[in-house]
Amino acid sequence: MSTPADFEPMEKGFDLAQAIAEADRCLLCHDAPCSAGCPAETDPGRFIRKLRFKNITGAVRTIKHNNILGAACGVLCPTARLCEEKCSAIFKSQECPEGADRPIAIGKIQRFLVEYAWHQGIQVLEKGAPRPQKVAVVGSGPAGLSCAAELAKEGFGVTVFEARPEPGGVLRYGVVSYRCSQDFLNRELDDVRALGVEFKCNHPVNGQRDAEKLLAEGYSAVFLAPGLWQAASLKKQRPAIKGLWSSVDFLAALRDGRFAEMRDAVAGRTVAVIGGGSVAMDCIGAAARLDAADVYLVYRRSYAQMPAEPDERIEAQEAGVHFLLLNQPVDYVTDGGRISGLKLVRTRLGEADASGRRRPEAVEGSEWVLPADLVIEAIGNQAPDDSPAWYPRVKVNDRRLIEVDPDTGRTSVEGIFAGGDIVRGPALVVQAVQDGKVAARAIKDYLTQ
Amino acid sequence: MANNIDLSIDFCGITFINPFLLSSSPVSNSAEMVARAFEAGWSGVVFKTLNSDRLPIIHPSPRMHCVHYGSKKEMAVQNVEQISDRPLKDNLIDILYLKKHYPDHRIIASIMGFFEDEWVYLAKVAEDNGADMLELNFSCPHMCIEGSGHKVGQAFHLLERFTEAVKKNVSIPVMAKMTPNITDMTEPALYAKKGGADAISAINTVRGISEIGLDDFVPRPNVFGKGAISGTSGPAVKPIGLNFIASMAKCLELGLPLSGIGGIETWIDALEYILVGSSTIQVTTGIMHYGYGIVEDMIEGLGDYMARKGVTSVSQLVGKALPHLHETDHFDLERQGVTQYDVDRCIGCGQCYIVCRDAAGQAITWDGENRRPVLDENKCLSCMLCQFVCPVTDLITYKAMPRGWRRNETPVMDPSLEKEIQYEPFTKEGPNECTV
Repeated sequence: MSTPADFEPMEKGFDLAQAIAEADRCLLCHDAPCSAGCPAETDPGRFIRKLRFKNITGAVRTIKHNNILGAACGVLCPTARLCEEKCSAIFKSQECPEGADRPIAIGKIQRFLVEYAWHQGIQVLEKGAPRPQKVAVVGSGPAGLSCAAELAKEGFGVTVFEARPEPGGVLRYGVVSYRCSQDFLNRELDDVRALGVEFKCNHPVNGQRDAEKLLAEGYSAVFLAPGLWQAASLKKQRPAIKGLWSSVDFLAALRDGRFAEMRDAVAGRTVAVIGGGSVAMDCIGAAARLDAADVYLVYRRSYAQMPAEPDERIEAQEAGVHFLLLNQPVDYVTDGGRISGLKLVRTRLGEADASGRRRPEAVEGSEWVLPADLVIEAIGNQAPDDSPAWYPRVKVNDRRLIEVDPDTGRTSVEGIFAGGDIVRGPALVVQAVQDGKVAARAIKDYLTQ
Repeated sequence: MANNIDLSIDFCGITFINPFLLSSSPVSNSAEMVARAFEAGWSGVVFKTLNSDRLPIIHPSPRMHCVHYGSKKEMAVQNVEQISDRPLKDNLIDILYLKKHYPDHRIIASIMGFFEDEWVYLAKVAEDNGADMLELNFSCPHMCIEGSGHKVGQAFHLLERFTEAVKKNVSIPVMAKMTPNITDMTEPALYAKKGGADAISAINTVRGISEIGLDDFVPRPNVFGKGAISGTSGPAVKPIGLNFIASMAKCLELGLPLSGIGGIETWIDALEYILVGSSTIQVTTGIMHYGYGIVEDMIEGLGDYMARKGVTSVSQLVGKALPHLHETDHFDLERQGVTQYDVDRCIGCGQCYIVCRDAAGQAITWDGENRRPVLDENKCLSCMLCQFVCPVTDLITYKAMPRGWRRNETPVMDPSLEKEIQYEPFTKEGPNECTV
């Protein structure tokens, strides 16, 4: 039996009949609340109505015009707490319990429409009339792609600089392929390329004052969207221990040609993943699929406090992952330079902290060791230590996140704009898309006024 | 069987075990099919229209198309199917078979000829081979040879002549099937009665076009590059069928038993046809969509309804709605009403607001913050459009207002324009009905 070179394919999306049936359930609300629920103003109320009235090309135009990453958002967005949370079809009125129903599957309709356009060759976006100015975009993740596409639609020359071999940023190197596959992402990138956006991959922008040098090299504006790629660790600096990985290392390795290597490393082993967010869910899901003997999720609070989406949590448990809740990792246990376990202390929940979640408190004397062959840390990403070096005059906060005017994405340096995780800290793809749009509009204003 | 209620009914002196029949169509094409329908619960069949083998019958291909409504399939079906393409002998053998094996079920032979001798020939062979009754197909909307099909249905003297010829030669009851492609069906029905018809069945399919190809411009079904206006059936035509049955049932001069056809899928559809005067009902498109099994729900549904209402015989229901059916000029216009909203149960979709704003009285203002409609009942037209679109059952209901209550008139946009108006009030006296 041949071993697969990748995870299973993405879950199949809606077909036309399913999409129409789902759109048929839509109440076509006045002042559609779903549309208000989309951080990127993708306007589901409008594109679902267009589908309902057999204006499929128009529906795709609405999506793609508002959100160049419509397909990726369709599969990656936590729709249950965005557009779908606002859906009137939930019938959540207390007085109307008999009406209890489920929201329209907006994400699935959105994905269907974009994929349908790909398969049917429907083109909905056009390059704008060429303008003389060029704009440099640093980083080809969601924020960079969104900004680049918006500017290209306006006719600006856009060059995207990407440090890694291929564009996509977190969509390619930070998400498991069974949620957003290579082919799927490449189709969406083709939509960006079709607007004339130029990609320069293997082209890191990280040398001293590199960002400002771009301005000197003939780019009229620069958009910084490098993302956050330094995974936080239990220790201030993650020690070099064999079998201790960051979520960034692990997820990127699955996408950059080292899938077989990862499989060999994980299969048959006991894997402990630290964290409770969506990235941790991707890590445990991937580890389980790579035939780990046992996968533990170690989380210091309880189930209800996990930031991961409810469906992700349920899916992980269905996959046989053991949830070790109310356990705080305190140290690594090693054996001859290799990880052999994780030292944990039991916690209990105390008062709510600043985030509104109850704070975990260590239970004295409850330390114990979870034996593990591999430990993956998925406890959030942060700005790299050296980040300001390539944009030293750009003002950053104490977490080294760039400070911008939220309405324009303007940084403290004229001509330099920023968005995405490097501004917000870890956030959603759809929020990064919106940052790109906001900055693109501001860049256009900056370059035309 | 979930209930054991007697649904039998007399129709032209023949007892049917229930009022549910297959109509003459692809669903009654052979004894094998009809036998299965009888097993499923249908009480009788109008066997697919026999032909005399004089002319070859070849069905066009493809022979049908349909109209979907959103994700709802087959709101209507359009067909260019012809009468039976089977040899007459085979159909007669099949009728003999059904008579032999299903003595409690009724076989109505549908026939169609092109001239008197042919009608008579078909009528006699059908009777001689056991048909309990005949249905004269005066209404097939796409048999376009002059003197046949719906053209006959529109040429009243032919209709009378052919009915009379058949009646002279057979002793079994004869039913004439009417085309709806006409304004007033009572007129041809009366000609059929003059010819001796014992009953009327209606409606046959409504001439229509279900879809047009947007790339090839060929109306569907696309029969190798050609389309045609042809017969449309299914749920979409039910209001049309009810109209014709009710109109004939109201016609005292006609006074014949009626067999209702057109868009029947459920016991409620069937009952509605009965309530406007049908003694039996016939189904094709419902079976084309769901199969013979739907009769189980018709039998059970009608039976339970009768038990609930204390009705002991289907015949008691026939025409029960007719006393309540009036011309619109008989309405009491002094009585007006408005909608009322149980806003506590509202889910905030705002569809009521949209339709009231754009198609009614602008009686609703929209509380955007709370996502709730606010009704000004003095502006409400009681059109009930808001109720139709509201997703919550009975959130919006009708409320009768006291006699004499009047709603506000729709204000003009700019009263100052009155000085510019060119207008004299109409003052001539005249009749209150159109006279021809």
